[in-house]
Amino acid sequence: MLFLQLLLQGVQTGALYALTAAGFALIFGATRIFHFAHGTSFTLAGYVFLFAWNGGLPWWAGSLAGILVAVLFGLAMERLVYRPIQRHEGSFFTVFVAAFGVAVVVQNLVGMVAGRGFASVDTPLSRADEVLPDVFLAPIFWIAVGVAVALFAALSTFLTRTHAGVALRALAQNPDLLRAYGLSSNRLSMLAFALGSAMAAPAAVLTAMTSGLNEAVGHHVMLISMAATIVGGVGSLRGAALAGLMLGVAESVALQFVDTQWAEGVSFLVLFAFIIFRPSGIFGVAQAR
Amino acid sequence: MIAYAANLATLVAIFGILAATLNFVVGFAGIFSVAHAVFFGLGAYAGAQVALLLVPDALLACLVAAIVAGGLSLCLALPALRVRGEYFVAASLGLQMMATTLFSEAKPLTGGIGGLVAIPRPTVAGIEVNVLPLALVALALILFLTARLQRGAFGRSLQSIRDAESAAEALGKNVAAVKTLAVAFACAGAGIGGALFALHLSFVNVESFTMDQSVLVMAMVIIGGTGTLWGPLLGAILLLSLPAGLAFLPFIPPTEVGAVQQIIYGLAMTLLMIFRPAGLVGDLSKGRATA
Repeated sequence: MLFLQLLLQGVQTGALYALTAAGFALIFGATRIFHFAHGTSFTLAGYVFLFAWNGGLPWWAGSLAGILVAVLFGLAMERLVYRPIQRHEGSFFTVFVAAFGVAVVVQNLVGMVAGRGFASVDTPLSRADEVLPDVFLAPIFWIAVGVAVALFAALSTFLTRTHAGVALRALAQNPDLLRAYGLSSNRLSMLAFALGSAMAAPAAVLTAMTSGLNEAVGHHVMLISMAATIVGGVGSLRGAALAGLMLGVAESVALQFVDTQWAEGVSFLVLFAFIIFRPSGIFGVAQAR
Repeated sequence: MIAYAANLATLVAIFGILAATLNFVVGFAGIFSVAHAVFFGLGAYAGAQVALLLVPDALLACLVAAIVAGGLSLCLALPALRVRGEYFVAASLGLQMMATTLFSEAKPLTGGIGGLVAIPRPTVAGIEVNVLPLALVALALILFLTARLQRGAFGRSLQSIRDAESAAEALGKNVAAVKTLAVAFACAGAGIGGALFALHLSFVNVESFTMDQSVLVMAMVIIGGTGTLWGPLLGAILLLSLPAGLAFLPFIPPTEVGAVQQIIYGLAMTLLMIFRPAGLVGDLSKGRATA
């Protein structure tokens, strides 16, 4: 029964990984910017929710505030950091270092303001009941899975059925042609950043309710999102989400064989194996550059 | 005060070695490794074990450290041969995270979180010496080698691969061999730095070989100027004197000094990338290598 318990735990973690990874993949797919500060959106959203909750606000107000802050941060990164850099030269490493610098700054600011170490929100939702003999499940499991499924459905409807969504996918394929059709790639890349960052916020709120947050959580989230995007195949949202789920499950199920401190290592072993043996990922079509 | 200055100078020399060797792969080979602390750590553990188990001979420790770190650099060279750009950064991050776990778990070799303690004072030919002169000699040697390699045929092949890999291959350069050698050279250098670090502090644990350290070394290279000879050294001096400088500012509570220091170098990295991506020493007119 331990296996089933770990599997369910993994699905819960994986659903949250899938959400953040899809946000990262959306941004990277559309703008070709490796948004290394994606985890920072997550941290900020989580802590805003935490503060709102501790301040006595209802959960929806805190969540909305979290989403808003994540979106604003994503937009600020796009306008103030990535765009000026891309204006004078587009080296990915310059982008990476700049985003990394921001992530370091925010991580330390959060540590100074909110205190270091784990903080979590205690709700009745995170209390586990025995659903099967020796298998415990908290209501938050269903919420996490439900939110992930609902957001994916909404996102894929948006990307396939609306004008802006189709334009976003076009931006991913051919920015020059898109501009030739008279669409603004600047506005679309802001849309990608807003949507992608918003995807991280629900996951952050749910993480605050389950395993808790610390100031360095963004780091881990960023690494997982990046790993999931590469394993899933760059440009494929479905791949990123699936890989996020897979990494969550792999981390959790691995606990049956190894100690907890190896869990993160398992994710990177998967990533490393993919980079060496199949750099284009599960659903990737393009060759790795 | 003299002891303090000597300690700082030793650390500057050691981190100068790290920054110079990282600069070699990042600036000249276009291999953007975020796992340099891994090889620093491998060298430190190897050097410490030599001193603890065999003899505390500094040269032997450095040799073993260079062999261990250089040999295991294949872990980094392998993904470098497969992928470039963002993918490689991701792979090296993965390597860094796995190595951190390995360092804190492989207790018989690394002492785990507690680390290796009571490493004996280093000797050269049986005479006890300070690490400072050794580190300065190693730094000078590595800077000299870097400059030589950069100007020679090997360096030219390396830079041609950085700028246009397919073109270099078409002209008959053995891309795989050149990249592997460059990574091995840089990692062996980092290993020597690690051995000297272990002998200098006579104590090492996993804390010094985490991702934060890799980022710090990367910040030194970036802030100083990638692809320049003296830039990384300048970066090392600046970033290592930062904590000392901050200690003199009375309004920062001592518990927050670490955080303030990280905020300053994070901010410096971001602002430099926006306004002066070639770094402090970098030549703006020449433009910078793109991945």
